[in-house]
Amino acid sequence: MKIHVYAKLKDYFQPEFELMETIGNTDELRAVLVKMNGGADELLSSCRFAVEEGFIDKDFKLKAHDTVVIIPPSSGG
Amino acid sequence: MTQSSSYPPAAEASSAPQPAASPARYPAAPEASHISADTLDMVGLLAGAHHPGAGAVVLFSGEVRNSNKGLAVNFLEYEAYIPLATKLIEEIVQEARRKWQLHIAIAQHRVGKVAVGDTAVVVITASAHRSEAYAANRYIIDRIKHEAPIWKCEHYADGSKEWGNNCNCHAVTGDASKHIYETQ
Repeated sequence: MKIHVYAKLKDYFQPEFELMETIGNTDELRAVLVKMNGGADELLSSCRFAVEEGFIDKDFKLKAHDTVVIIPPSSGG
Repeated sequence: MTQSSSYPPAAEASSAPQPAASPARYPAAPEASHISADTLDMVGLLAGAHHPGAGAVVLFSGEVRNSNKGLAVNFLEYEAYIPLATKLIEEIVQEARRKWQLHIAIAQHRVGKVAVGDTAVVVITASAHRSEAYAANRYIIDRIKHEAPIWKCEHYADGSKEWGNNCNCHAVTGDASKHIYETQ
């Protein structure tokens, strides 16, 4: 599973990386990421997730070949 | 990526008399124009925002301040997840067009380095009367600020930097997808 992160998340992770674990949904993905870097826990709890240019919710079933984009709270404008 | 030439020029739009505008003659802003790595063409965008059925044109320009939290700001750098930001802004603009029966609705946001005093985001709305143009403009900018996957990094004069002013609605709503807007 490929992961892309933006903005402040880049303080904790590489902008793009790959996970080999079996991850079924966004809750599991968040847990894996917190295990990788506990400092990102609070920020990750406020992030949204997207696959194929659309937001997904926690019930979305992730697949191994998905590219998941992790989206911190917006700060445009 | 700024495509102000896609809009009809002011002189063309003001030739009278004309029937109600058709969507083909006054198309919505093309999706590709919602995010721009180039300086926003404020004059060109405004020139293309006139319409014979519109008695009001409102332009909002979000500009870079020279200070934040008591610190001097050198510049801002904007980053976006462009495919989703483009899609989302287009949805917001189209929803506003329908809700307030706008003749013109334009929204563009910068990415990359933006200097103090430069425009980071512009929203232009044109409608028959000013109340609709004001309300729609506020609606569009509020939703862009809360929902579009766009982020700013503030670069301070002391050399430090900070990803700033995040939407923190999730702290109240408990859901990163649910927001509280200033106009509610």
